[in-house]
Amino acid sequence: MPALVTDSSSKKRKSGKNASAPSSKRRAVAEDNFAEKLSTIQELENQIAESRKGYNNIATLLSMLNVEKSAEKPEMAVAVSLCRVFSRLIAGGNLTESSRAAENEKIVVAWLKERCLDYQNALVAIICEADASSQIAALTLSMRIVKERLAHIPGAENNVWSTGFFKDIFAAIIEAHNGQDLQSEAVAKFVKEYEDVRYYTFTQMADYASTTRSPEILETLIKILQACDEVPGPEHKFENFYAKRDTKNKRLVSANSHRKQAQEAWLAILRNNLSQSQRKSLLRMMVHNIEPWFNRPELLMDFLTDSYNVGGATSLLALSGLFYLIQEKNLDYPQFYTKLYSLLDSELLHSKHRSRFFRLLNTFLSSTHLPSTLVASFIKRLARLALNAPPSAIVVIVPFMYNFFKNHPTTTFMMHRSIRDKDLLAQVEKEGMDDPFDPNESDPNMTNAIESSLWEIVTLQSHFHPNVAAIARIISEQFTKQAYSLEDFLDHTYAGMVTADLGVEERNLKKIPVVEYQIPKRIFTDRLLEEDGGVDSGPGCFMRDLWEF
Amino acid sequence: MPPSQLKQLKASLRENGVLGPQKSKKEKRQNAKTGVGAKSRNQREVALQAIRDRFNPFEIKTINKSSKFDVTTRDGNTTAGGGARPGVTKSLGEERRRATLLKEMNSRNKVGGLVDRRFGENDPTMTPEERAAERFARESQRKMRKESMFNLEDDDDEMQLTHMGQSLSFDGPNQDDFEAGDLEDAESDEEASRKRKRFPDGDENQDQDQEDFIDYGDEEQPGRKKTKAEVMKEVIAKSKFYKAERQQAKDDDEDLREELDKELPDLFEALRGIKPATKPAKPEAPKQDFSEMNPERAAMLEESQNSKDPEKEYDQRLRQMTFDQRSKPTDRTKTEEEKAEEEAERLKKLENDRLRRMRGEQLTDDEEDNMDQDEIPEDDESEIDDAAHFGLPAYPTEARPELGVEDEDDFIIDEDLVETNSNASLDMGDSDMEEEDEDSSSDESDGLDGEDELINGMTLPTEDSAAASTVAEVSKEANGKLAFTYPCPKDHESFLSITKNVAVEEIPTVIQRIRALHHPRLKPGNKDKLGRFAEVLVEHVSYMGNKTKQPPFAILENIIRHIHSLAKVHPLNVTIACRAQLREIGKERPLNLLPGDLILLTGLSTFFPTSDHFHTTATPAHLCLARYLGQCTTASLADLASGTFAASLCLQYQQVSKRYMPEFVNYTLNALCNLAPTEPIVKFGAFPYRKSQESVQLVSSKKVTPRKLQFRDVTTSPSDPQAQEELKISLLTTLVSLLGSASDIWAEKSAFTEIFTPVRAVLQYLRQSLKGKVYAAAQEPIQSTLDNIDSHLAQARLVRRPLFLHDHKPLAIKTAIPKFEENFNPDKHYDPDRERAESNRLKKEFKRERKGAMRELRKDASFVAREQLREKKERDAEYEKKYKRLVAEIQSQEGRAANEYERARGRR
Repeated sequence: MPALVTDSSSKKRKSGKNASAPSSKRRAVAEDNFAEKLSTIQELENQIAESRKGYNNIATLLSMLNVEKSAEKPEMAVAVSLCRVFSRLIAGGNLTESSRAAENEKIVVAWLKERCLDYQNALVAIICEADASSQIAALTLSMRIVKERLAHIPGAENNVWSTGFFKDIFAAIIEAHNGQDLQSEAVAKFVKEYEDVRYYTFTQMADYASTTRSPEILETLIKILQACDEVPGPEHKFENFYAKRDTKNKRLVSANSHRKQAQEAWLAILRNNLSQSQRKSLLRMMVHNIEPWFNRPELLMDFLTDSYNVGGATSLLALSGLFYLIQEKNLDYPQFYTKLYSLLDSELLHSKHRSRFFRLLNTFLSSTHLPSTLVASFIKRLARLALNAPPSAIVVIVPFMYNFFKNHPTTTFMMHRSIRDKDLLAQVEKEGMDDPFDPNESDPNMTNAIESSLWEIVTLQSHFHPNVAAIARIISEQFTKQAYSLEDFLDHTYAGMVTADLGVEERNLKKIPVVEYQIPKRIFTDRLLEEDGGVDSGPGCFMRDLWEF
Repeated sequence: MPPSQLKQLKASLRENGVLGPQKSKKEKRQNAKTGVGAKSRNQREVALQAIRDRFNPFEIKTINKSSKFDVTTRDGNTTAGGGARPGVTKSLGEERRRATLLKEMNSRNKVGGLVDRRFGENDPTMTPEERAAERFARESQRKMRKESMFNLEDDDDEMQLTHMGQSLSFDGPNQDDFEAGDLEDAESDEEASRKRKRFPDGDENQDQDQEDFIDYGDEEQPGRKKTKAEVMKEVIAKSKFYKAERQQAKDDDEDLREELDKELPDLFEALRGIKPATKPAKPEAPKQDFSEMNPERAAMLEESQNSKDPEKEYDQRLRQMTFDQRSKPTDRTKTEEEKAEEEAERLKKLENDRLRRMRGEQLTDDEEDNMDQDEIPEDDESEIDDAAHFGLPAYPTEARPELGVEDEDDFIIDEDLVETNSNASLDMGDSDMEEEDEDSSSDESDGLDGEDELINGMTLPTEDSAAASTVAEVSKEANGKLAFTYPCPKDHESFLSITKNVAVEEIPTVIQRIRALHHPRLKPGNKDKLGRFAEVLVEHVSYMGNKTKQPPFAILENIIRHIHSLAKVHPLNVTIACRAQLREIGKERPLNLLPGDLILLTGLSTFFPTSDHFHTTATPAHLCLARYLGQCTTASLADLASGTFAASLCLQYQQVSKRYMPEFVNYTLNALCNLAPTEPIVKFGAFPYRKSQESVQLVSSKKVTPRKLQFRDVTTSPSDPQAQEELKISLLTTLVSLLGSASDIWAEKSAFTEIFTPVRAVLQYLRQSLKGKVYAAAQEPIQSTLDNIDSHLAQARLVRRPLFLHDHKPLAIKTAIPKFEENFNPDKHYDPDRERAESNRLKKEFKRERKGAMRELRKDASFVAREQLREKKERDAEYEKKYKRLVAEIQSQEGRAANEYERARGRR
């Protein structure tokens, strides 16, 4: 579409077309038809340009576009030529009626307007239904028309952007059939590029999402919104406009109004019926992509508290957003720690959000003014969970506890407690003791964890993996270190530990590994069992006992 | 008041003996004769110089202001310039400059000149003596490395050091024990050589020169009494005497040897008779011993060996005798009890080592020390990655110090044991070499347990296949078809191609033959080959396990035992191969272990000690299992079976060290919950519940009885519903019994209650849901496990005490008392920071050097200026002189001319 991009005169275009037409004729016979068609289109277009008599050709061209019957296979050449025709007409002022004009003039203008509307609808239909390349072409054409209209028809701003053609285009983009390419193209070429397009996209989106939509459509909306990640700051200069701007309209140049629109759009989406996974992904992008747009982040409160109450991974993800609100907006969340405590469940240490959670938990519990009973409950709960945790989680938990012990010295009784009471001592010596900790208590202040001891971690000191065992051992050594930097322990995985143990490829082993000195008599079979008197007691008898090979 | 300068001078002159009473003429004469005069003159010079210095106040630098107090300063007590003699140093510097700088200056802008290349010439650091010594050393060195033996010219052209006209080389005097016959030759030889050295091109005037030489010698050594000829005669007589003596000794040796030869058969008889009682001879391969023999002798022996001459037998016996010497019985034979005791002790020691490794103690303590240091980190170390202390992101701590050396010792001991039953080569004197080799390979290098039939099976692989007990069962009749020799495969593909046409049952025989054929004793390269072969075998085990038609486990077991025995000699190769396999598992199928992997992991637990605190292979293997148990998903019964296998393997790994494995508990409880006929509604504990993708719940209507699980359950799930139910119930009972064993293993753990309370809940739930006749058989194991756990729980409650972890000795507060330095030396720097001290030292040195260099340069410049000025002055003076001369000449000419003119005028 060179004609669209270059704003050269029609004559030039004409000569260019004429030059190319015969050359294509000389080609294969199959192409003859196409060339002929092109030349017809060209001829019709020329006639329109030459005189008013040719206006009827618009109708011909529109019928050639043939959208009503099959929008999947549009004649894009016709669409392009029509776009040129209408651009010219709009630019020539042929679509604006003046009150002084004659009656028949008015009729012509009305008729042209109607045709223009037809054409716009055809383009929208193409965007909706055609194949990807035609969709993108149609999008470009329609945006071209938008531009022309805004440029040459006074007072069309509201008409085009908010209620008129752009609204249709937007809906078409969102609902387009197989529209991934189209959407990414639209975002890259228009929404991200031009500030006014972005502004009106937000408006449209807020409008569009105010009614309940299907999850797929919401997905698309989220994707588009997520792509607009550059939040204009208060000092931002708005210069990049697609269409000529009405100087009276101040909204377009204020960052605040931009953000307001985005906020509306996001809120509309958040209020829609989101699927669980969408909710999670929204929560995941909350801090980086959503919150910056919000002039009043407290509007997110409902969404976040709802998500936090869902439980499981969703709660985990809602935490960071909620924390932001608590911290910045002074949100009062009663029972925050109780809720946090309840999040420490058996799934937590196995979830992939583990390190995210621990980072947050570290922030939440970093205050030294928290009651020791509460901190002790968290410690004890984590210790319990560590008994069933993968090594990568244990590795986080123990230094985490160490830091707690450092910050809350009263909790160190959990590691070291000598019984002073003689009667109690005698009783304990006689009948042992139960764990005073109540695992079923949901209030972290009431669990009695501070009376308990961390037997769990002592057990983990004999964890099968030497590094984990070494880390578990730090709680029984002298606390000489000020604090462990949690970040170093957070992102370990099984795979990482395997790689650490095995290396990517064989290095030279520094020491010759030890080999078992005795070759066992049997490994799988009952070989020579009678030698041992029929009783299998050698190494590996455990396996042979349970399994038959 | 001190006496005047003059008086002092006089006094000191007198003191030094410069001034003294006048000597008489007679005395003077005497002194001149004995040379005392010259000596005393020297002395006097020295004394005078000292006096001059003393009395010249400008020669000695004095300090400007005297120090008021005696203080210790960094600068030390040497006051600046105290006792320095600037004049002397200045003149020394001047001298040096004149020697170097002036020369340079003079030769500037000049091309060519003479360069003195004599060694040490112009080297002021060398005394003339040193110079001479060095030159002499070089000379003799050049002599020593004569490039070519026959390079005559080299010999001729050589420069020789002489002293008083005589060569200083050592070959002259050393030649006197030559074996030459007659005097003439000797004389001419020696003289020629000498003469050649002195007169390089004097060949044609030999006779004349010879005479010259003799004359010269006479002149030079007036004290010599004997003539040359006499000396030569003496020398020859001596050499003849020595020669005769040597001949005599040789004859004696010969006689003795003949005598011994005669006695040899008797000796053999004796040896054979005693042999069973004494320690047996070492059947070393004869070839090896050549290295210790005289090479010629060895060559001779070898030759005779090859040829069929009648002496062959004799040589062979002789050879055998040489072996006998080396294996002289040093210790008496040990009795059975002693042997058993020794063995028990050895095993005890190995067991102790193993226990220490289990506790993570170092056999050498250095690493542990490092760990301790790491564990007490300083504040300023906080930037360092904390996790790195525990080896988390970094590479893991190295393996424990290995016991390889001790093992090696054991292996040698055992080798002896093994060899007791191998008949010594004495009996096989007539057998050919190859067979001997075959035989000697029988002492398996791995033979740790001598009675192990694996080794016995290898003892005589070709001769007596029936001896290979288990192996023989499969290879007995096949032996006829199998080839006896196989190449040692370098990689798995070649091994596969070797065994392509070999039945699975015969693979152990093939392996055995490969090992026998490539015994390390046979060829130096064999050790490496076998090492690689061990790697191939490791690969092969997992390959075989993964084959759809699983080989009999007897075969796998045999191969694993082979790997184990190879691992004793090649621990590194086996480790590397195992680690490669584990790495492959970790990369490609961490959550989907293949049967081959399971077999390999099982095998691995037999040849590596899984109880070690850290082991290069066992620890990653643990991690692999844990990862599998912790993250795998259950899609089918086969998955569940392999998970159960892995879980039991975990317990097997922890039989000795009893370490806790969270993944095991999680997995078994999960599996039990999945297997239960009804899905549990409540949560039983902190283990994460994961539903299996495909229901594996027990849904049986008929009565099912649990059976013992089979390994093939891992690979195939039965299609028949009844069989499926049977498998389920057997899995369930196995898992329950695994939990029972786990409770036994971990009974001592401090958190036993916390671990096993959920287990108990799950088991109780199972008991509830398995009520009814259909599952009656499963009730009993569940009940017994529950009882077991209950008793352990009660015990755990009894022994539970509050933790008492921090009963440490309190740490000392850091002291702030300044460190008191004994024998403080202000010249020394006591900076505790090594680096800073070093850098300060360097800075100071640099400053000093810089200053020195600048001073030198300044002095150089002034010297150059002075020299130039001097030159200029000289030139000017010369010019002036010339000018004056010319003027004078002209004037005189003028004068003469004037005179002449005057005269002429006067005449007129």
